[in-house]
Amino acid sequence: MSDPILSIRDMRLEFDTFDGVYKAIDGVSLNVAPGEALGLVGETGCGKSVLTRAAFGLVPSPPARITSGEVLFGGRDLLSLREKQLRSIRGAQVAMIFQDPMTYLNPVFKVGTQLVDAIIAQQKGAIARRAARDLALEMLDKVHLPNPQRQFDSYPHELSGGMRQRVLIAMALAAKPKLLIADEPTTALDVTVQAQILDLIAELVSELGLSVIMISHDLGVVAQVCNRVAVMYAGQIVEDAPVADIFDNPKHPYTLGLLKAIPHPLRPVEHLAGIPGSLPNLYTPPTGCRFADRCSHAVPVCTDGKPPLMDLGAGHRVACTLYRKEHVDA
Amino acid sequence: MLEIEDLKVHFPIGRDSAVRAVDGISLSLGAGERVGLVGESGSGKSTVGKAALRLLSPTSGRIKIAGVDITKAQGKALRHVRRKAQMIFQDPHSSLNPRMTIFRSVAEPLILHTRIRGRALNGQVAALLERVGLPGQFLHRFPHELSGGQKQRVCIARALALDPTLLVLDEPTSALDVSVQAQILEFLKELHGQRPDMTSLFISHDLAVVRFLCSRVAVMYLGRIVEEGTTEQVFAAPQHPYTRALLSAVPLPQGRQSGNRIRLTGDIPSPANPPSGCPFHPRCPEAIAGVCDVMEPVFEQSGAGTSVRCHLLTRNAA
Repeated sequence: MSDPILSIRDMRLEFDTFDGVYKAIDGVSLNVAPGEALGLVGETGCGKSVLTRAAFGLVPSPPARITSGEVLFGGRDLLSLREKQLRSIRGAQVAMIFQDPMTYLNPVFKVGTQLVDAIIAQQKGAIARRAARDLALEMLDKVHLPNPQRQFDSYPHELSGGMRQRVLIAMALAAKPKLLIADEPTTALDVTVQAQILDLIAELVSELGLSVIMISHDLGVVAQVCNRVAVMYAGQIVEDAPVADIFDNPKHPYTLGLLKAIPHPLRPVEHLAGIPGSLPNLYTPPTGCRFADRCSHAVPVCTDGKPPLMDLGAGHRVACTLYRKEHVDA
Repeated sequence: MLEIEDLKVHFPIGRDSAVRAVDGISLSLGAGERVGLVGESGSGKSTVGKAALRLLSPTSGRIKIAGVDITKAQGKALRHVRRKAQMIFQDPHSSLNPRMTIFRSVAEPLILHTRIRGRALNGQVAALLERVGLPGQFLHRFPHELSGGQKQRVCIARALALDPTLLVLDEPTSALDVSVQAQILEFLKELHGQRPDMTSLFISHDLAVVRFLCSRVAVMYLGRIVEEGTTEQVFAAPQHPYTRALLSAVPLPQGRQSGNRIRLTGDIPSPANPPSGCPFHPRCPEAIAGVCDVMEPVFEQSGAGTSVRCHLLTRNAA
C-alpha cells in the first residue's frame, strides 16, 4: 500500500473544564490512504468530530489540549505547525463540509460572491476575479446544481438544503484538495436528497481521486460511500475494517450492538436490541476497556487495561480482549 | 378511534396565498391500531399530527376522536378529549420545563386533570417512571441532569399519566442515538403489547422505524397521502413511484448495495405553490406527459391491496 495521505498517531486530547479534565480522545491512530474513503462512525460524544477537527488545528486551545500524538499530512507534523502555516493547508489541501450548510454560508451575500471569494482565498490571491468566477461556475456545474448561472446570483435562502450542500461541496473542491472531510454532510437532509448528495460525493471521489473522511452516526450512509470504516466509542477506535467486513463480519461487541440496534427498512424485524447503559464518564474514564460495563461478553480481564487494536488480518483491526484470547489459543 | 376526514390545514401568507401544508387528507385509525405517517420534511405529516389533537385549527375537514367531533371543540370539551389523547414530540429537551423536576413534569397532567394528590400522587408518578424504566432516584432531578433517551422516557411517562387511548408520536426517536432509539422503540412495542387497545399515530421520516412499529402505513407527499396500506403490503410491493423512490433511497447498513436504485432529482416543491396535476409529477421518473401534469389522480385500490393515488395504476390496468 502506498504511503497514507493522512496519518494520525496516538492522538490524545483533553478539555480543561470547570468540572475537571475531560479526556475526549484517548490514543487514536488512524491512516487514510490516497483515494480511500474512510468512514468514521460512532454515537454522540464519541469524539469523531473533535478528532478530525483537532488534527487540523480547528479545536481552540484552551480549553482543548493535545497531550500527545502526531498528525502527519503531506510529510509534515501538523501539530507542530503554527497557525499561519496551518491556514495555508486548510482549504487548499484539506477541505471540510459540515452538517448544516446554511450555517456555513453568509446569508447576506450571493452564493457566487462567496464562492469566488473562497476560491481567491484558497489560491492566496493568485487568481484573477474573472478566472475565479469561471472556476466557480465550472464547479457548480460539476456538483450538478441545476442552472448554475442562475444559482450563482442567488442568495443562500433561495436554495434548498440539498442545493446549499452542493454549493459547499463545490466550494470545498474548487482548490482540488487532496483530502475531503465530510462531517455528517447529509444528516440535515431528507432521504431522497441525501441519496443524491451521497451519489455526488461517491462520484467526485472516484473522478478526482480524492481521499475522504466521512463522519457519520449512520452506518447506512457510510456503507454507500466508504471503502473502510473505523468505529469509535468513548474517544477510542474499537474497530477498523474494510466496509464489507464491518457489516458481514463485525468483531467488536460495540459494532455488533450498533448493527443490531438498527431497524432494517427492507426486512421485517421482530426485536431490536438496544445497548444497555450509557457512555462512560470521560472525566474519570475506566482504566480497562471503555465498553466493558455495557458489554454482554465482558470477562474480568476486560477491566484490566486498555485492549490494544489487534490486527486480525485482511486490514481488520479490533480492540477487544476476546480476540486476544482467541489469538493466543490459535 | 381517530377519524380524519378531508383535513386541510392552510397557513395564509400575505393576503391571497397560503401554504397548503395539509391538503385533503383522510385517515382512519381503529382502536388499538398503530399507523405510521411517513414523509419527507415539508410533506405536512407533523401538521396532521398536531391538527389531530387540535393543537392547530384545521382550515376545513373533520376530526373525530372516539366518535366525538372535535373539529370545532373548545374549552372544556377540548380539555376532556385531551385527557385521552396525548402527544410525544421529537425533541424531549424542549418539551420538558427546565425548572420543573421530573416528578413535577410527570405529575402535571395528574394535577391538572384529576384530584389525585399527596401520597397517592407520589406513588402514581413513581409507578409511571418505573414503567418507562427510570428508577426512583430520578424523581427529584432536573431535565438537564438526564440524557436524551432518559428525557424521552420522562416524556413518555408524562404522556401515559392519564392512561390515554390515543397517542400521537411525532418523530419520538429522531433526536436519539441508534442504541438509545432501539431501547425506546422496543419499549413502545412492549407498551402496545401491554395495552392492546391503545391507538397510535406514529409520525416519522424513517421508514425502518415505521416498519418496526406500525401495522399500517400512510405515505405523504406535499400535503397529501399518496399511498396507504398495511406495512407488509407497502414495503413488499410499493405501488406509488414516490414510495418506491423513498424506499430505494434509504441507505442500507450492509456491505453490498443493490444495483438498480431509483434516484429522484430535485427537491420537494413549495407547498405554497404546488405543481399542477399530480404534485409528484415534476420529480416522478415515470410521469406520463399530458396526464400527470394536468389531472390530479384519485385514490384507487391497487392490485397489491394498497390504496394509491397515481395515474400509472389506471394506465397499467387498462
